Amino acid sequence: MNAPVGISKESPSGHTQAASVTHTVGISDMKATDRPNDVLVTYSLGSCIGLTLFDPVAGVGGMIHCMLPLSNIDRATADRNPYMFTDTGVPALLQAIFDMGAERRRLAAKVAGAASLLDEKGMFRIGERNYTVLRKILCKNDILVAAEDVGGTVARTMYLYMQTGRTMIKSGSREMEL
Amino acid sequence: MKRREQILSELRSTPALPMPAIRVVQLIQEPDVDMRELSQAVRYDPSLTATVLRLANSSYFGAARSIGSVQEAVMRLGTNRLFRVLTASAVAPLAGLAVKGYDLQPGALLEHAVAVALAAERLAASVDQPAPNYTFTAALLHDIGKIAMGSCVQIDARPIMDLAFRQNLSFQAAEREVLGIDHAEAGAILLEFWNLPPGLVEVVRRHHEPDTAEPGTLAIDLVHAADSLCLLAGIGSGADGTHYRPAPAVLSRLQLGTKLGEAVICQVWSSLRDLTGLLSVTVGDGVNVTCPSDCG
Repeated sequence: MNAPVGISKESPSGHTQAASVTHTVGISDMKATDRPNDVLVTYSLGSCIGLTLFDPVAGVGGMIHCMLPLSNIDRATADRNPYMFTDTGVPALLQAIFDMGAERRRLAAKVAGAASLLDEKGMFRIGERNYTVLRKILCKNDILVAAEDVGGTVARTMYLYMQTGRTMIKSGSREMEL
Repeated sequence: MKRREQILSELRSTPALPMPAIRVVQLIQEPDVDMRELSQAVRYDPSLTATVLRLANSSYFGAARSIGSVQEAVMRLGTNRLFRVLTASAVAPLAGLAVKGYDLQPGALLEHAVAVALAAERLAASVDQPAPNYTFTAALLHDIGKIAMGSCVQIDARPIMDLAFRQNLSFQAAEREVLGIDHAEAGAILLEFWNLPPGLVEVVRRHHEPDTAEPGTLAIDLVHAADSLCLLAGIGSGADGTHYRPAPAVLSRLQLGTKLGEAVICQVWSSLRDLTGLLSVTVGDGVNVTCPSDCG
């Protein structure tokens, strides 16, 4: 099983860097951090779910990019990489940021992705299912969604700036804060 | 259309795949491929030889004992796997490039191409009919037109996307409106220049509009469906995003819906990590991919 990628400010070098450091969260990947200069980014969100969580008091945040809603289609893969699935990935992200000192009641959750094709007949409902499963898990964990940019037929890039906790979305020439 | 003519003339000056790679792709489409001739074609190309040996020795193919000759590698991989490996490694140097016009990062197009090839293979396994042996190659090459249009002609995807949204057109239909040609046709024309087999060229040409082909052409159905799934999941996608229309007739012929779609994406993603890791080493090996100076 992949260890959660926790990036701690207590780095061996013992000092915090002034310049921002960008970490890419791949597809089926997760990163958690408490470094104020970190920027987390994930590209190419189609039907996948991108979720950022940020605790402004603890200065802890994280991002996940889940591809598929439910891990029961392939348990062995989910054991190897829980971040691939929304139902196993989101609890793993929560656990990672709680371990770094984040508190549930202070979390701002922001969501992007869950796009579909120009699929008027609804042949593939993967984005929709990803979104539904995410909302259920957040609800079960008493976490409200502060903002979201979901659905449609665009690929999105999602950023989390740890300095401010701002989440930005880019798709094509459009750029907005969530 | 003026823009179309300009693009067509620039396509002609697009750098081709290296000759040994073209020869390999041609050879492996033949039903009775001469394995000796194929081994020769590989052996004279250092980059292909390296790739075949590296793949044959990789854990992905269950390597137990290290092997050092192309002939042994051919034995270990078996012809089917060899075909796939060779085609993929022949395409990798071109598909590994960044494609600016479509906002594709370096490696994204290769990742997408390999994912679509794996998905087509997985979908083929779920239908009764055997897929033609050029299906995998066609899947790997289906977006080759994006390289020509996005790197050499340097199209700008933004006005195309704007039009697509305004008129609810799919991305490639909007490409045709704006440029007079879409990336599928551009790819097909490019492969015709390279003398690749007509069946393969036809898949590339129709991959977004399978309804315009002879109904039930399995290779086209498979590549269309596989491409739809990979675009949806955002595997190696660019500025065009998910703005494509899947063909309901194809999906119903393949009995492909959400459940099978999720299973295919899951399997493809798991194999893709192993395969692109192996292939990416070949990116840029010995191929001049710089566009001619008069291009774009």
